Amino acid sequence: MRGHEIRLEQVCVRFGAVTAVEPTDLTIEAGEFFSILGPSGCGKTTLLRVVSGFLSPSEGRVLIGGRDLTATGPAERPTAMIFQSLALFPQMTVWENVAFGLEARGVDKATRKRRAEELLALVALAEHAGKRPSELSGGQRQRVAIARALAVEPAVLLLDEPLSALDLKLRQHMRAELKAIQRRTGVTFIYITHDQGEALAMSDRIAVMSKGRIEQVATPDGLYATPATPFVATFVGEQNVAEGTIAAIDSGIATLDTPLGRLSGRLIGKAAAGARARLMVRPERLHHAAHVAPTPNTLSAAFARRDLEGPVEMLVFDLDGAQWSIHRQNHGETPRTGPVELAFATEDAMVFAEATP
Amino acid sequence: MSGPSDLVRIYGRAFAAACWLLVFGWFTLLVLVPQVTMVDQSLWRMEQPKDAAQLTLDIDRLYNDLSVMKLDRADAPADKQAALDARIAETQAAIREMETRETQPRKVYGPENYTRMSGLHAEIFLRTLAFAALTTLIALVVCYPIACAAAFAGKATTTAVILTALTIPYAINELLRTYAFLMVLDYRGVINTALSWIGIIDLDRDQAIPFLESQAAVFAGLVYAYVLFMVFPIYNALESLDKSQIEAARDLGASSLRTHWRVIIPHAKPGLAVGSIMVFMLSAGSYAVPRILSRGLGGDWFTQLIYRQFFDAHNWNIGSAYSVALLIACLVFVALVMKITRVGLKDMVR
Repeated sequence: MRGHEIRLEQVCVRFGAVTAVEPTDLTIEAGEFFSILGPSGCGKTTLLRVVSGFLSPSEGRVLIGGRDLTATGPAERPTAMIFQSLALFPQMTVWENVAFGLEARGVDKATRKRRAEELLALVALAEHAGKRPSELSGGQRQRVAIARALAVEPAVLLLDEPLSALDLKLRQHMRAELKAIQRRTGVTFIYITHDQGEALAMSDRIAVMSKGRIEQVATPDGLYATPATPFVATFVGEQNVAEGTIAAIDSGIATLDTPLGRLSGRLIGKAAAGARARLMVRPERLHHAAHVAPTPNTLSAAFARRDLEGPVEMLVFDLDGAQWSIHRQNHGETPRTGPVELAFATEDAMVFAEATP
Repeated sequence: MSGPSDLVRIYGRAFAAACWLLVFGWFTLLVLVPQVTMVDQSLWRMEQPKDAAQLTLDIDRLYNDLSVMKLDRADAPADKQAALDARIAETQAAIREMETRETQPRKVYGPENYTRMSGLHAEIFLRTLAFAALTTLIALVVCYPIACAAAFAGKATTTAVILTALTIPYAINELLRTYAFLMVLDYRGVINTALSWIGIIDLDRDQAIPFLESQAAVFAGLVYAYVLFMVFPIYNALESLDKSQIEAARDLGASSLRTHWRVIIPHAKPGLAVGSIMVFMLSAGSYAVPRILSRGLGGDWFTQLIYRQFFDAHNWNIGSAYSVALLIACLVFVALVMKITRVGLKDMVR
């Protein structure tokens, strides 16, 4: 099994007057684990349905493995879909489910059964072949769905939020499992999710979508460290945000006048002095002023509360009309209340100018 | 399951008791009493004494004896009169008893009402069951695509239009509906008129197609009359199907036929079973439709036979037996359908 490359050229989907996907160009490499991340209603599922063939794009072309398959139905495409509800057939046994694609292709029963058993072994379900899907646990059902999709030897596997019904522990376990199956088979995975944790953990590359448009395509690290747009910056990970007016720009560093004081950060994109802008600092980049080297970016704050998250803790501070937080290792105790000085390094802050109207 | 039922918890004891009382009353009055009466009625008959002729002779002889005795008594001395009076009274009592036996048949319990069904009646019985089964099959074939169209229309308005269009004829009384259908199929009905318009037949040269002379008219009428009872259960079952199962089947390369056979029909089984049972029972028990549409030309339906036993032959016992036989046949059909489709009672009430 080898993955195929997928190219979308100016793909656009409109439902009546509503545009679900704006004209989009996207190339997904062969054998890549590619995620499309976005809030619900951003058009990510629509885009997946275009790739699967359940939906014809209003405009544009879909190329899979170099072939133009825009007008081809889902059955004839070298893709297989794993649905959000998994869509296992409840009246069939596990192995019949897995073998269904082969049954549809007219493969004889003995071959079908052998192939299903091989695939069930791949997902460690060999001993459950004769059961019904309803007799399996959520994670096992998940793996049956994967085996069923892999049975037709697809070059591309399309996954529509398949982990959303599982509980946290199982979800984390299945992430590793999906990644391993992808590596083992070499199939191109396109994974749809609204969960940034899943996308960051599994993907080779991630596309972040908002309102029908792809905002940025990058590796997980690239996405987190250098978001291209304010949407990506706030949607992936968390941010402390201050709004203000750009006072000066000097070799890529913008200085803002904000209600919290005069603050500087790296300017992303282009802007001119006097423009409205937002400065963002990730909670793990914000510190007590006493713990870091002197910086021009200091803030007076009052400690509000501490949220413990196991190995890490979140300290929340009241600033003048805003709440900022520090994300740091668990110190094992709640700091005393009262005024404190917070600080961050200029290179740790990002400044996004607001689009000029 | 222990503790108070949901009914008690939600409505309190008094209301729950009232509910159960109503259910009990309903069950007793509408289910138990009529059926038990019918079964009882079917198990007895009035029997004329077997020795009726001999009895008449015996009575005549006793009357002769009585006359003789009365003459004897008129001439008898006073001391023998009392003895003769006693004998006269004895004979009169015997006559009365024999006369009662002669004029009032005895009520005898036994299975004869069932076993004495004539060959012709048995044939009609079996034919009715076969025809009802055939009607069910036709309804199944006609209604499954309609139900699919309604369930998978994709747009709520389309579904609403289809279901409303199916329901509208049911706002009209069954008899009127059947007569309307009669007008469609009649010699100079809608279909024949339409055919003569486009020149396929000539009504004036008696070329009308005699739809009403064939059993097909009754089948068509029954399917038309009961289509809703088949469509709605199937529609309900299909409605609950996770549509992504259909997409999954398609995605895996299954043809439309295979998707129906392996995914949609197995899911719709309880609906198919309920619909089949309803249409079978209603068709087998239908009186008006075969009576009106066949007009005596297409042979009797068993229900017409039952009607005649009750109201023409005035033999309520045979009528009851025939009714019970039909009921049992229907129950057997229900059991058979449930066995074939492997659908339990609990699946059907889902």
